Amino acid sequence: MKKYFRTVLFCMTIILATVTFLFGFQNEIRAEAKPEKVTVVYGGSSWLGHYPAWVGIEMGTFKKNGLGVLFQRFYASSGRMGSLVAGDLDFASTGSISGIALMASGMKGFYAFGTQDSYATVEGIVAKKEIKNVTDLKGKKLAVTFASSAHVLVLDILEQNGLEPKEDVTLINLKVSEMPAAFKSGEVDACALWTPMFNKLLNMEGAHLLLNDTQFSLFKKYGLGPGPDLLVARKEFADKYPNTTRAFVKGYFEAVELLRQKPDECAKVLVKLTNLSMDEQKAVLKDIQWYGLDKQQELMVDPGSFVEGMQKLANFLVKHKQIDEAPMVNEWVNKDLLK
Amino acid sequence: MTYAYLSVGSFLLVMLIWEGFCRLGFIEPIFLPAPSLILLRALKMADQGTLFVHVLASARRVMVGFLLSSLIAIPFGIFLGSSRFFKAVFDPLISLLRPLPSMSWIPISLLWLGITETQKYSIVFMGSFAPSLLYIIEATRNIDPILIRAAQNLGASRWDVMREVILPGAMPQIIAGLKVMLGIAWTCIISAELVAAEEGLGFLIMNAKEYFQTDTIFLGMLLISLTVIIIDVTFRMIEGKILPWTRN
Repeated sequence: MKKYFRTVLFCMTIILATVTFLFGFQNEIRAEAKPEKVTVVYGGSSWLGHYPAWVGIEMGTFKKNGLGVLFQRFYASSGRMGSLVAGDLDFASTGSISGIALMASGMKGFYAFGTQDSYATVEGIVAKKEIKNVTDLKGKKLAVTFASSAHVLVLDILEQNGLEPKEDVTLINLKVSEMPAAFKSGEVDACALWTPMFNKLLNMEGAHLLLNDTQFSLFKKYGLGPGPDLLVARKEFADKYPNTTRAFVKGYFEAVELLRQKPDECAKVLVKLTNLSMDEQKAVLKDIQWYGLDKQQELMVDPGSFVEGMQKLANFLVKHKQIDEAPMVNEWVNKDLLK
Repeated sequence: MTYAYLSVGSFLLVMLIWEGFCRLGFIEPIFLPAPSLILLRALKMADQGTLFVHVLASARRVMVGFLLSSLIAIPFGIFLGSSRFFKAVFDPLISLLRPLPSMSWIPISLLWLGITETQKYSIVFMGSFAPSLLYIIEATRNIDPILIRAAQNLGASRWDVMREVILPGAMPQIIAGLKVMLGIAWTCIISAELVAAEEGLGFLIMNAKEYFQTDTIFLGMLLISLTVIIIDVTFRMIEGKILPWTRN
């Protein structure tokens, strides 16, 4: 009886220990996966590079991963990146020119961990019909937003065609939103711009597409436009809250998948961000190539075409006196955030 | 002389503390660059020949806009200051114009004047005109009415009263007001150079902002201040010459 009691007691202890261990282990897994912080701040705008974040918020992919995302709007990438390194934002997408410029300033407070899209056909130079090729731009006025991807495109295209900015072509520093009016009034002969104004200008009478980003020298070699979008995270945040970062990345790329698979459904929520009509929104979505999480692992490696292309872009900015020194881009790339 | 040493000393002390603060790594250069970095940037730009291009472009825009505004505001302000009837007529319009920041004129000026230099002058003009006008009206109205009545009793005509009493009496305050207005005109340069500018201190600052070149931003700000100081000193010298009774 005593022996029987001892065996039962032994078995119960073993069962109890196993159950405790398993529960503990499960809790540990849960604790590991649970975001340390339930709300993050994302810096965006109505630019297409921010569609995944918006779709993620509106269609619940972040929520599914236990995360609330606050979408903070900024007019320009520089303001957004400034806020990121100042600690007001946790994640953002930025034009790579702004990202490279911030790297060149020596600021180490952020990681670049992805590039979500390619939009080579919705940015370019729209010109008057009589301007048939780039050399026809000689002696003409070309509107472009300085310090933008379109500016880089213009500098590259002029160089490719042996033209000098200022001497051969007058560059007028204009915001994209002001270009259609300037073009219509005849104050400029051509405009370098991006969607949605790019599409609007193309539809204007007397306008035609002179070229798009596919003519950019780095695009020909690396498939890289003059200002690819870059996903960035605040270093301090990503290091301190790895689970939250993981949840954000997961929710973000689930939204990218939605954009790839259900563009029409996504367009319905995106019009609230962009104020475009449904038709315009669908047209813009058609021109974007989305890169999913699987593709990121391939793109963000060093050496790899994207990182190498970004380095070339940094060198290009130095050559054209936009920044003083080219940063080593790979020092900011952290593809571990994608795991 | 002692006060001059005090000013120079305090300035150097602030620069020294600032430099030390930055060199000890208390703050990243992107947030606050050391004065030596700003100086280096200035030397580099001077060497490239771009520094003075920016200063001259902005100085031209400010001076043209400001002079045009003064040329209209001075006679108009004196006229309104000496006539209650016309002041009452124009008061509502001036009150509407006065609070408008120079930046609010950008869309309208672009529509009316296009992407031209005139558009930039107009931004400075509109930003400084209404405040200048108010200053001048007040300066004119501050003339002691007893002086005006005394002159009239002595048989002075309206033109005589204007020439002998109002103008000499109001001019020191008008000049003082214009000096303040010149500073305000310089604040308009950022707005004026926001659109279609390829040179100028406003452009320099805004373009540097896009590339996170904080040293260039500080340099642009410093150059605006220095230019205003130089113009202010020049103004004082002219003031001393044309209004000798204000020297003391």
